[in-house]
Amino acid sequence: MDTLSQLGYGFGIALAPENLVFVFIGVLAGTIIGILPGLGPMSAIALMIPIAYGMDPTTAIIMLAGVYYGAIFGGSTSSILLNAPGVAGTVATSFDGYPMARKGQAGKALAIAAIASFIGGTVGVVLLMLIAPQLARLAVSFGPAEYFALMILGLTAVVSLAGNNLTKGLISAVAGVIIALVGIDSQTAVLRFTFDLPELYEGVEFLIVALGVFALAEVFTMLVRRSAGGAGGAVTSLRLSRRELGQMGPAAGRGSVLGFFTGVLPGAGATVASFLGYSAEKRLAKDQDTFGKGNIKGVAAPEAANNGAAVGSFVPLLTLGVPGSGTTAILLGALLVLGVQPGPMMLTERPEVFWGVVASMYVGNIVLLVLNLPLIPLFAKVLKTPKALLIPLVVVFCVVGVYGLSFSVFDLWLLLGFGVLGYLMRQNGFPAAPLILGLILGGLMEQSMRRALQISNGDWSIFLTKPISAALLALAVLSLAGPLIGMVRRHRSAASSKVTGGDNGGGGVEKQRR
Amino acid sequence: MVPFRFSNRTVAVAIALVAAGYLALALRMPEFTAVEVPVQPATLPRLLGAALLLLAAVLFFQRPAPAEQAQDASDAVEDSAEPSSPGTAEEGTEAGDGAPAGPQRLGRLSDPRLELLLFAGSVAGYITLLVPLGFLITTALYIGATTWYLGYRRHAVNAAVSVGVAALVYFGMSEGLNVVLPSGPFPF
Repeated sequence: MDTLSQLGYGFGIALAPENLVFVFIGVLAGTIIGILPGLGPMSAIALMIPIAYGMDPTTAIIMLAGVYYGAIFGGSTSSILLNAPGVAGTVATSFDGYPMARKGQAGKALAIAAIASFIGGTVGVVLLMLIAPQLARLAVSFGPAEYFALMILGLTAVVSLAGNNLTKGLISAVAGVIIALVGIDSQTAVLRFTFDLPELYEGVEFLIVALGVFALAEVFTMLVRRSAGGAGGAVTSLRLSRRELGQMGPAAGRGSVLGFFTGVLPGAGATVASFLGYSAEKRLAKDQDTFGKGNIKGVAAPEAANNGAAVGSFVPLLTLGVPGSGTTAILLGALLVLGVQPGPMMLTERPEVFWGVVASMYVGNIVLLVLNLPLIPLFAKVLKTPKALLIPLVVVFCVVGVYGLSFSVFDLWLLLGFGVLGYLMRQNGFPAAPLILGLILGGLMEQSMRRALQISNGDWSIFLTKPISAALLALAVLSLAGPLIGMVRRHRSAASSKVTGGDNGGGGVEKQRR
Repeated sequence: MVPFRFSNRTVAVAIALVAAGYLALALRMPEFTAVEVPVQPATLPRLLGAALLLLAAVLFFQRPAPAEQAQDASDAVEDSAEPSSPGTAEEGTEAGDGAPAGPQRLGRLSDPRLELLLFAGSVAGYITLLVPLGFLITTALYIGATTWYLGYRRHAVNAAVSVGVAALVYFGMSEGLNVVLPSGPFPF
């Protein structure tokens, strides 16, 4: 069947009243959670998963996808109005968005962000539709060795981009895999690391970890930051002139395509995409000096790029079943709970999920635009929610999410434990995304490792003799080598500056501290 | 200073201890002999334990780059920006975390570490009482008390929100999603 008729089939699913309602709910909830400072797409999706339980899997993922791009848009609202990006993916938006808001053009900046997000999302969906089936066709030939290598690559790529300390990122990833292995071993039924606690036999539910490490840890951080928040930010006229639209159009288009392909790559998510989009646009522009002072293109490009990347990151998730980012890892966890195994076979076995999601993205992008433009002033009010009220509410939602899943008080203690762990990790510079990815991929990784070794009769060289697997592993090593070289270089330059400029170096350190 | 931030060495030692314990458990894990399997259940844990130990050692000998300190908080951008802003010596104590000591300030204790412990304690209390007292009462009490403690002054709004949210979540979950939360003394 050709793509168009498939897409028509998908629209039939996406436009079913039930699914439409849930796209709407997802986008709305995602936007609101995304606006709240600190709560990004990962927290948003984790908080919404409990609602998705018991739903039809297609409806559930349609809603969660809506939450995802809603949250990214919501993040840009707080970036523009407060210069306080709720999400790393919208930091680049604040470079020009906040100056615009200070010039009294907050409404304009938000409108540009909404339209650029729409363009980014739509371009992304078109590309997703064209590329994903091809990639899935290629991936059908993947055996367990290739999958193992692919997952290693996914992990190392996220580690290399998640923070600037490689060691800490790797520790996070290893810890995630360690948590994944708790429970009854699926192949041999041996109990592993359950400490004789029956509650641990089934392993640790990923949602507990996700809610603890992201949402609960964020609450701790808010508490320490101590500012009661609720800062305002006036929204002014949203109207754009035709000239401004003409100015932002090409920028958003370039940002979308760039963002999409960045999103497809493992590890590089919305954050990298938005920075790339911003810097590329700046380099191309003739009016470079106005960037950072409220240039329209400086808002449009990163916004289009981060939404394009959000869609792009669905490509590896849906076609390979291997998430390339923390956010899609959480989505994968949700899908597995709902009984859907994404991967190359999904296109043929569960076409309603794949095409339903693709079509719902078109719908969701339109909903996002229709919802956001008129509601922007209202959303700005969400920013005024006092933290004193927000903090206990987030705790309650975490508790309800976990308890509603397992009806076990033990799991609530685990939640608190992971909240504390997440907070300590954050304070000490350990990125949380590799932990989540390791947790979700850990079980799958061990499975494919075993299958591969079963095929080779225990010969470990299978991972290196199969060409695709070897290439993927080589890429994984390269992805770690990049930051490593950077680190060594930094160390060397730091050391040399200390040797050459005695008191000068001291002053430099002082300056950097400030 | 940031509460609960430790030096690389302290963290590395803590991780190494965990890794050593994990590795010991993994090494004691029995071999699976019923069927021939190429990968024992203990294979991957042993590898992971060793990897973690190695990484902890690397971390131990790492000098913190000044740039890293600044970017440590990259996912919590404001985190580092705020403490370093206006007056660090404003209050003379550790609590001078730069938070404006005006009316808009969360919590009551001057030491953020104690505040955090207290907050974790309140969550623990919430968890402990959830089943005996039931979701409705515990949640309304928890939201109300925490909001009040953190310094929100509009008490009527607070009361309405805490009772309203508790009821909305409870009945939403039980009616809409068929998830029954602990009912406590109530018959519904």
